[in-house]
Amino acid sequence: MTQQIIVNSRAIDILAVLMLMTTIVLIGTSRLRTCIWAYACRSFMLTLASGLIAYFSGIHHIYITTGISLALKVIVIPGFLFYIVKKNNIKKEVGSYMNYTLALILACGIILIAYYSTQNIIQFENIFMRHCLPIALSITLLGFFVMIIRKQAIIQIIGLITMEDGMFFAALSTSYGMPLIVELGLFFDILVSVIIMGIYVYRIKESFDGIDTDFLRDIRE
Amino acid sequence: MIILLFLIIPIITAIACVFTKKHGISKYISIAGSFIALVYNIYLNYNIYTYKTLQGFNNFFYVDALTILTTQIVTIVAFAAALYSAGYMETELRWGKISEKKLQWYYFLMHMFIFTMLLVCVINNLGVMWVAIEGTTLATTFLVGFYNRKQHQEAAWKYIIICTVGITLALFGVILTYHSAKGVLGEIGYALNWSDLRTVADKFEPHLMKLAFLFVLVGYGTKAGLAPMHTWLPDAHSQAPSPISALFSGVLINCSMYGIIRYHILTSKCVGSDYSCTLLMIFGLISVIVSMPFILIQKDYKRLLAFSSVEHIGFVALGIGFGGMYSVYGAELHTFNHAVTKALLFFCAGNLFLKYETTEMENIKGAIKTLPVTGTILAIAVFAITGTPPFNIFVSEFLILADGFRSGNLFTIIFTCIVIVCVTLIFVGFIYNMFRMIFGTPTRDIPKGETSKFTTAAMLFLLFFVLIISFYIPPLLREVLRNIYDIIRNV
Repeated sequence: MTQQIIVNSRAIDILAVLMLMTTIVLIGTSRLRTCIWAYACRSFMLTLASGLIAYFSGIHHIYITTGISLALKVIVIPGFLFYIVKKNNIKKEVGSYMNYTLALILACGIILIAYYSTQNIIQFENIFMRHCLPIALSITLLGFFVMIIRKQAIIQIIGLITMEDGMFFAALSTSYGMPLIVELGLFFDILVSVIIMGIYVYRIKESFDGIDTDFLRDIRE
Repeated sequence: MIILLFLIIPIITAIACVFTKKHGISKYISIAGSFIALVYNIYLNYNIYTYKTLQGFNNFFYVDALTILTTQIVTIVAFAAALYSAGYMETELRWGKISEKKLQWYYFLMHMFIFTMLLVCVINNLGVMWVAIEGTTLATTFLVGFYNRKQHQEAAWKYIIICTVGITLALFGVILTYHSAKGVLGEIGYALNWSDLRTVADKFEPHLMKLAFLFVLVGYGTKAGLAPMHTWLPDAHSQAPSPISALFSGVLINCSMYGIIRYHILTSKCVGSDYSCTLLMIFGLISVIVSMPFILIQKDYKRLLAFSSVEHIGFVALGIGFGGMYSVYGAELHTFNHAVTKALLFFCAGNLFLKYETTEMENIKGAIKTLPVTGTILAIAVFAITGTPPFNIFVSEFLILADGFRSGNLFTIIFTCIVIVCVTLIFVGFIYNMFRMIFGTPTRDIPKGETSKFTTAAMLFLLFFVLIISFYIPPLLREVLRNIYDIIRNV
């Protein structure tokens, strides 16, 4: 079994790199729709990687999570985000606190940090993990970075689910996913939190006349 | 089975509150439901007293002394909050601030919130515990933004974003723990059960466990309100309706602390207790220091109470971090004391808000004249929360700080000295700010009298606990606290 995984880790590595690239798209673009498409693409690659791991490892419950992930992350959540954008008439450009060149350079720094900080762990592990864990951590940190540098509520939601995707990939690559019940709970939490945030985007739009989180500065000492 | 029943009580209560057609019934359902949970918890407590641990459903649930203390706090404060809500929300309903439909949803969300907190405590699987802690965030976002004005939406948005990000980081800790457990326990699906992990924790990869604990501490620490991740806490605690603020400050932060303690036990067993104790001590110290200036300059009394929660969760972290027998005992006692006292203070704050319709401390004068009972209880509770002898918080803070000096370690002693200076300043800030509100003559002509029978009953119920712990620790509680020390020392 282990032999097979090592042979096919190449395919998963390629998918991991593609996922990282689609995450960088979030930092390099100002168009909201592109960001949602990038998220949907990355989720699709994640699902594909998950399906491959299920196939090669022969652990059946990963098929279930792959199926749910396909339905939820590739179809439902991006669809819901497009729906919010359309319903609230959100302008296409997303403001940023940082110019794009600097943000991209910092993003490279973040990837280096992720590689550096996981070095200690992965030197004992199998080849399969060697690239996947740092990439998973980079995706998580990049999601965090997107949330910090962008002004708009919807892109913050995307940053958040990017972080969760990174975690999902970390779980897959280190230990072939979490126990099934935990995965199910995770999906449930992600879905509910995205819906609640969507509702709040609508409410904030109604009362603040826009969804830039700059406006949220009423409560202060 | 008996544990499952315990979890079903709040769910049934929540659903019953939504589906009652007749107006005015839901508050009685909510009070009855939380009362049953409270009594049931005492029954569980006796079980733990005899058997030490309870397990159920193929080890899915696991209850020990640490659980039982936290659920006891949850059920006591939940009962008080249900009682208080009956009076508080009824008044708001009468004034037309909220609609009847909304009130029913309020009760639904409140009991779902209580359910998720109980789930966090009784669950054995660390992954599902993560799901449940995230569940507490999801159940309460609408409660933070309940009145749906600008500042409430801002607080709710901050709350859900910051807490979800924090908890996502904690997930990485869970994944690393799972990974290291899998290496030891093999491919069994229960690899995340805390009771199993605890027995084999010494065989885990130390690097992984250290990293895992760091992520869990930062992640759950966000939810627990440890500084510097506490930024959502003052906003959310001050914008939520008062009974919900009481639940937030009293028990929600303890539930997250409970999660941290579970990992603390595993990490101590794996890499020795120094690593996690030091981290807990540092975060605890930062929390106490950070909250101090904000308490001194505060203008809004609910925010003042919220910052005080940051201070007290810092105290709990310090107590666990010192790791001695007295300090762990004191820290666990402190969670109980802080929960009842802070909930009591938030109830007083709610009464003040209903009377004066402002949260600015400047605009409130002579509370003891317009609200005789609330004013008196507020004065007692302020003395209690600042750690004035002979009240309950003094007992637990003294135990924690005494162990700080006893340890003989230079850093610990310096930490303790800094904490004592901060606590003194916090005492000054509290007394100065609060007593300006309690005494003096009311600036406006405000009619005398308490808000409602229910609110007064809720306050007296909590005051009973504040006073009793000040002078006497019941044997049942003492035994639970001793057992917790054994669990944390991994005996």
